[in-house]
Amino acid sequence: MSRLLIVEDEKNQRELYALELQDEGYEVDQAINGKEAVDMVKNNKYDAVIMDIRMPEMDGIEALGKILSRDKKIPIIIYTAYSNYKSNFMTWTADAYITKSLNMNELKDKIREVITARAEA
Amino acid sequence: MKRDLKLLAVLISFCIPDILLLLFIIWFIRQPVHDDMMILMPVCSSLLILRYAFMIIYYKYFYSARMNIIDEIISDFRKGKFSVKHPEEIGSGVFRKIMKELTLTGKYLDEIVTVQKNEIDTLHEFYNSIVFSISSFFMVLGDDEKIVYANDGFCKKFRFDREELVGKRIDDIFYFVNARLKGAIMKVKSMNKPVVLEQTHLLSVNKISIISDIKISKILVRGKNQIVVILDDVTTKLKKDYQITLMSHISGSFQKDLKIEMVLYNILTAVTSGSGLGFNRAMLFLIDEEGKALTGMMAVGPDSLEEAIEIWSSISSQDIKSLNYESSPREGKKLLNSVLSANFSMNEDNIFIRSLNNREIIHIYDSLMDENVDNGIKELMDVREFIIVPMMAMNNPIGLIVVDNKFNLVPIGNDSVELLGIFASQAAFSIESHNKLKMVEQEKNKIEQRIDGIVDTEKMAAVGRIAAHISHEIRNPLVTMGGYARRIMLQSKGGATSQNAEKYAEIILKESERLEKILSNVMDFTKPSKSIRAFNNINNIIEDTANLLKNIFLEKRIELILKLEKDIPFVKSDSIQLKQVMLNLVQNSIEVTDPGGIIEIISEHDSEHAVIKVRDTGSGINEKDPNIVFEPFFTNKITGVGLGLAIVKKIINEHNGKIEVRNREFCGVEFTIRLPLPV
Repeated sequence: MSRLLIVEDEKNQRELYALELQDEGYEVDQAINGKEAVDMVKNNKYDAVIMDIRMPEMDGIEALGKILSRDKKIPIIIYTAYSNYKSNFMTWTADAYITKSLNMNELKDKIREVITARAEA
Repeated sequence: MKRDLKLLAVLISFCIPDILLLLFIIWFIRQPVHDDMMILMPVCSSLLILRYAFMIIYYKYFYSARMNIIDEIISDFRKGKFSVKHPEEIGSGVFRKIMKELTLTGKYLDEIVTVQKNEIDTLHEFYNSIVFSISSFFMVLGDDEKIVYANDGFCKKFRFDREELVGKRIDDIFYFVNARLKGAIMKVKSMNKPVVLEQTHLLSVNKISIISDIKISKILVRGKNQIVVILDDVTTKLKKDYQITLMSHISGSFQKDLKIEMVLYNILTAVTSGSGLGFNRAMLFLIDEEGKALTGMMAVGPDSLEEAIEIWSSISSQDIKSLNYESSPREGKKLLNSVLSANFSMNEDNIFIRSLNNREIIHIYDSLMDENVDNGIKELMDVREFIIVPMMAMNNPIGLIVVDNKFNLVPIGNDSVELLGIFASQAAFSIESHNKLKMVEQEKNKIEQRIDGIVDTEKMAAVGRIAAHISHEIRNPLVTMGGYARRIMLQSKGGATSQNAEKYAEIILKESERLEKILSNVMDFTKPSKSIRAFNNINNIIEDTANLLKNIFLEKRIELILKLEKDIPFVKSDSIQLKQVMLNLVQNSIEVTDPGGIIEIISEHDSEHAVIKVRDTGSGINEKDPNIVFEPFFTNKITGVGLGLAIVKKIINEHNGKIEVRNREFCGVEFTIRLPLPV
């Protein structure tokens, strides 16, 4: 069973994603900001990280850099309400950049894709 | 002695008949017999006759000689010679005495006359030299207005003999007589005051043109009135002043009026006005914008000699300044029309185009004899002598000025040609400036339109930014609400009740409340208030702004610190505009502040003002000219057009407030807004 980390400061959203992804059959951990995410990635092994950008204390961009500096191969999917972060070249280092949407199918497809790609590699 | 002998001889000779008579009588008495008495009578009577003859001869000799001398003296006296030539010849006695007296009187009179004559000569010389030393030309008119006298200067200037002048009327010697001059003479005759006519144009019948200040006064000579007319030739002086006057005249009118016709008209009026070049007619041609044709643009001058005389005799040369294209009498309509319809191709080979191409002044002395002048131009000009002067602007020909003296036929002198050359370049400069100014005006309009466009674009961009901001803000709660709603829906499929429906519904409700709050924040910024100026609490405005931008602060990890004074006095203001001010200021600070920086908003008040301070930890501004940041279109950013702070300044000014900006001690800037408190 693949293990995912969801990084999202808004509790309701975070829990919603967790529920949805658990329904898909993933084991899901939750972090409330970038800082916590960096710590959790340090201590645990995840198959993919789904991360928001705008978060207090440490934002997604900074966390992205810190996580990748530790483990370059871990798939990271940016999942945010803001499409304009695409212009920040740091986000290019993520495996995917998905704009939040009522329909979570795009996210689910992308998670499946990156996990499969990693398993094959 | 000799004279005495002579006199003695004369006296003796005078006595000869008496001696002869005596001798005869003695001889007769001695005769013893006086028988022959018959001889006595004839001898005695003949001797007596001889005696009388002698007396007559002597009288003749003595008195007539003396009378001749007296006659001579009298005639000398009459001639003013008070001298006696040979007083000793007069002889002696009473006569001599009288002569002596006469001689003395003569000498005395002679002395008096000589002294007076000397005095008169000196005076005469003195006045003569004064009259000669005066450069003025003058003439004296009798009561019948005929010339009595004219000085040498006058005769030389107008090339007349003095004898020729005397007895003529002024109408006979001047080609046209200025009506003002005639009027002035009448005035002087009727009143006793002298009259001065300044800068009056006179033209003699033998084509001597002069501009002079004329002084007319009345004198009384032997009970008769005479008029002294003194002409001060100011032609040269005026010519020297001319360029300056002309240029100020032209540039003056050029600034006042932007119509090209006006500029051209002024140029030609200056060429034809009496005080300057004084040409009879002037025409102006310009090369069109494509440079393909030379077109007649303007003409000034009379159509006929009658018209010319009417103009010349009614206008003082000074009056040029008051002439105006619109108000001037429109003489010379025919001329203007024929010039306006003149059009020459630049490819044509005629004297006009040649003048332009060779950039040279061409002086045609006799167009009828000159092969260079083609028929078209002959017909247009209809005059023998004229000058073509190209107008050069920045070394490029832009057109021509053509002038002539069609009506008074005064030959065109080299000095006039030279002056006209200088003038043409000034005129070209005027026209060029006029055109350039027009171009600048057009460009200015274009730029203004473009600025309007930029402002519109900026407004659109602002709308776009707000739209993006709002859409992002509402996306988060929307996604959450939708997600939970779908979960409820999926779990309730087939009639089953969702285990967490209540919890999910609660989340949806909270998120929708949050959504509403976001929307009301936005609405606060956009809804127009009913009264534009109301008493507002600036703290509320600051807090609203902070709320709206909360997420941006989070996103950029900038700390926002609000230090708001409690119970701050209300300020009469437009809340929407003030929110705009705060939004623009804070956004500006956010843009220049790096992550980890701090933005402080402070509210406080003093006795007269409510004060808002916005401090950031950004890069600061140029110390030398901090206020430049309020200039429209000043920007250091790659995006945006630099209107934000300009709008801030405008709004604060409209509130009678002040805004200042200064660098803070270590980093960043502090904006200070002071809004007046109600009195």
